[in-house]
Amino acid sequence: MPGSQANLLQGTLDLLILKVLALAEMHGLGIANRIAQVTKGTFQVKPGSLFPALHRMEEAGWLASYWGESENNRRAKYYRLTAAGRRQLQAETRQWETIAVAMRSALRAV
Amino acid sequence: MNWLKRLRSLWRNLRHTGAVERDLDQELRAYLDGLTAQFQRAGFDPAAAARAARLELGGVEQVKEEVRQARMGRLLEELTRDIRYGLRSLRRSPGFAAATTLVLALGIGANTAMFSVVYGVLVRPLPYPQADRLAVVCLHYYPRDFEFGTLCLRDFQTWQAGNHVFLEPSLFSTTQLDIGGPQGPAEPVRGAVVTSGFFRALAVQPILGRAFAAGEDSPTSPSLIVLGERLWRRRFGADPNVLGESILVGGLPYTVIGVAPRSVGFPHEDTEAWINLKLAPPTRYGPWFYRGLARLKPGVTMAQARAETSAIAMRMMRQNPIYKRLTLPMLGVRDWVIGDPRVRKALLVLIGAVGLVLLIAVVNGANLMLARGTVREREMALRLSLGAGRLRLVRQLLVESTLLAIAGGAAGMLLAYGAIALLRAWNPGNLAMIDSVRLDWRALAFVLSISVVAGMLAGILPALQNARAHLSTTLKEGGRGSSGRARRRTRSVLVTAEIALSLMLLVGAGLLLRSLARLERVSGGFSAPADRLWSALISPGDPKFRDPNTGVPFYEEVLRRVRQVPGVEMAAVTDALPPDRQGDADTFGIEGQAVAAGEINPIVSDVTVSPEYFQALQTPLLRGRYFTEHDTPNGQPVAIISQSMARRFFPGRDPIGERIRQSGAELGNQWMQIVGVVGDVKYLGRRDQDSDAAYYMPLGQSYAPRLYLLVRTAPGIGPVAPALRQAVQAASSSATVAEVTTMQQEMARDVAEPRLDTALLGFFAAIAVLLAAVGIYGLIAYSVAQRTQEIGIRMALGARPGEVLRLVARQGAGLALAGIALGMGGALALTRLLNTMLFGVSALDATTFLLAPLALALVVLAATAIPARRATRISPVVALRYE
Repeated sequence: MPGSQANLLQGTLDLLILKVLALAEMHGLGIANRIAQVTKGTFQVKPGSLFPALHRMEEAGWLASYWGESENNRRAKYYRLTAAGRRQLQAETRQWETIAVAMRSALRAV
Repeated sequence: MNWLKRLRSLWRNLRHTGAVERDLDQELRAYLDGLTAQFQRAGFDPAAAARAARLELGGVEQVKEEVRQARMGRLLEELTRDIRYGLRSLRRSPGFAAATTLVLALGIGANTAMFSVVYGVLVRPLPYPQADRLAVVCLHYYPRDFEFGTLCLRDFQTWQAGNHVFLEPSLFSTTQLDIGGPQGPAEPVRGAVVTSGFFRALAVQPILGRAFAAGEDSPTSPSLIVLGERLWRRRFGADPNVLGESILVGGLPYTVIGVAPRSVGFPHEDTEAWINLKLAPPTRYGPWFYRGLARLKPGVTMAQARAETSAIAMRMMRQNPIYKRLTLPMLGVRDWVIGDPRVRKALLVLIGAVGLVLLIAVVNGANLMLARGTVREREMALRLSLGAGRLRLVRQLLVESTLLAIAGGAAGMLLAYGAIALLRAWNPGNLAMIDSVRLDWRALAFVLSISVVAGMLAGILPALQNARAHLSTTLKEGGRGSSGRARRRTRSVLVTAEIALSLMLLVGAGLLLRSLARLERVSGGFSAPADRLWSALISPGDPKFRDPNTGVPFYEEVLRRVRQVPGVEMAAVTDALPPDRQGDADTFGIEGQAVAAGEINPIVSDVTVSPEYFQALQTPLLRGRYFTEHDTPNGQPVAIISQSMARRFFPGRDPIGERIRQSGAELGNQWMQIVGVVGDVKYLGRRDQDSDAAYYMPLGQSYAPRLYLLVRTAPGIGPVAPALRQAVQAASSSATVAEVTTMQQEMARDVAEPRLDTALLGFFAAIAVLLAAVGIYGLIAYSVAQRTQEIGIRMALGARPGEVLRLVARQGAGLALAGIALGMGGALALTRLLNTMLFGVSALDATTFLLAPLALALVVLAATAIPARRATRISPVVALRYE
């Protein structure tokens, strides 16, 4: 079922973005780099999925954005977590853990 | 807050697409720059780094497009999901959905119908350009004291001479026109006599031919007629060759010069022909037949016009010592066409009342949703625990309530459509401009917006309450939510509000009902059975009958033939009939009465009647005698006066034998000896209480060419209209007969408008009480269901059914009392708005204020009694095993 796989991936990306932003405010490129780093290169987030996700999450009220200066003195759009985003992170983390535990036990049982 | 932000962002997305796009563009460029720099740091040369970065970014446009979709799509997607979920959830509880839809449909339907009426009558633009710059100019002076009274030609001259603010003052007067000619038998139509500026003031163009040209109101001008479109189509087969033709109007030749579009309904909606008024130089004041119509000059305000007309009024008073406290009141064209200013007031009161009905419907809807919230508590708690935000839930619930309201709106639209069709077909209140009452896109927009507002209003409280479910307790409690108590409190408040609002409506309806009953009890001044009195307006047609020497014999011939009609007991002719068909009104002089110079006696009804008039009506003779056939032109001039006139002007003495004369002294009318005093007859409607003074003159000694035929038939005789028509036309083939009705119809028409108001307000109050009863029933039934266990325990411990009944009833009584107390306060504050609609009843009428709450209390108790009785039948064994 390709549909459910896409959903799973999208959910994963959202969770990763929330997690990464929980630690620090970052711009798009920083987020992509950071995700690659924390997942030890498993997830290489392409801009084609990163930016729609960021904007969608901003629309949802989980992220807020502002224009700031990047490390090499360039203008960049920074994202940060809102209170709603923080709650969303908690909820999604819980959900993910439940699923992970369930999946693991399911796979072992067979 | 979140919502607000989201809305603002959506607004930004829609409105400032440019700014959002620029933002996105810069963001992607910054990303590209950053990535390039990264590749360079990794050892690529600048060109290769840029290439690699672009490659990784992929198509910039493609990314942008996806971002756009993500931004815009999210809200719509969520909304669609909410709607789909809402529909599914509503389908699962069809009973609830149907009940809520019905409740809201009643409220919305009643409001839509009322909105359409008010819009059509009071708001819809009139067919005249800049109609708000048109004024109908009237004359009000003492002692006539008729607020929007008529002017005479002298007054018109004074007005014209002093006018600077109006473009071209014109005069008009309504009349009946008997259109004759080869096209068929003479036909009476409502017409108007107007001066040449009339159509230019209205600023309407004829659809054929022309309107009156300047100067065509001079005494030497030929007789001209402008036909209304409907008359032209009906009688002349829409023949354009009718222009320039000569047609007979009242037996005299008139040349057709134009056809006015059917939209022109002035001076009255059913005016179908206009003839030119020929302004002969007046030799004296009177007759007062006309009102003015004029359009403001560009740049002149109504206030400036008022200032000038009051200066002109001062001049008129100086010129004529009879005019006291004279003013020139001005009416807007709409107010003129609507007629009675009470209509506007009544419509506004009714729209307010129907607004209350909507409020009650909304409260009821909210109540139903709260009740449903109890059932859904676990669902809510589950969704919360699965991570749905409370705001998400609130939105979900609001979407559901709005869906219900829109369904209610659709059903309400159907109700309104039916109601308006009914209203237009019957027009039970003789409402002017009823033809412009219809369901159109405005009504549709109105329905949609009030549906959404009603849905939101009804949904917001339940949504907030239902989304407040407490996870742990609710999930543990097995269905009976902990927020049940808060919800019950909210529901109690809502039910109390419903009772209060419906009491306000009930009191209003009660007041109108009592007022109508009083009004209907007012006698028209006759005791003959109203269903056996027939009347018809006769117009002799041929101009030779304008002369009394031929006219009186014509009417005597009519009476002779009418008396031969089988079933006719009595027949008379008159120029006025009860209850509101006043013919003429004039002042009078009393022989020997000292009247100061410039003073006159008040203007009262003066009526020309043939013998048998009073006998046919069975108006009591109090003193003296009725007119007889001996009261001829050659005999001693005589008069009969009404009881009120005798009491007012001959206090403490016998008026029989005294002499009065018509009009003021200057006309030199002959003295008439008073030979009788009769009971008061209403000529200005039964609502009117101060104008029962009247004097009567016998046909022959007084004459008017157009008279009513009054016939009393024997009991059990059916419609006599065709026979009467035949009898009249046998007397003269040119005669026309119009307005054939029974007195019963006329008496009903006289109170039709208050009756319609009463019926509507009564209907609204009935809906309100029904909704309130349903509301309290639902609440008590729910509370009994919740307390099943408690009641069971009480009964197991020995409580008797009566005590249980009291327990439950106390809750209902408490709500009823609170609601009634609040409603009484509201009613006391609001009923004064009804003041102008009431007749003979105070707005604080004690009976109504006593009976209405009593009736409502009974209804509420009955609604409580059903679940209360159910509570007494709870079996302790079953109750303790409950759940």
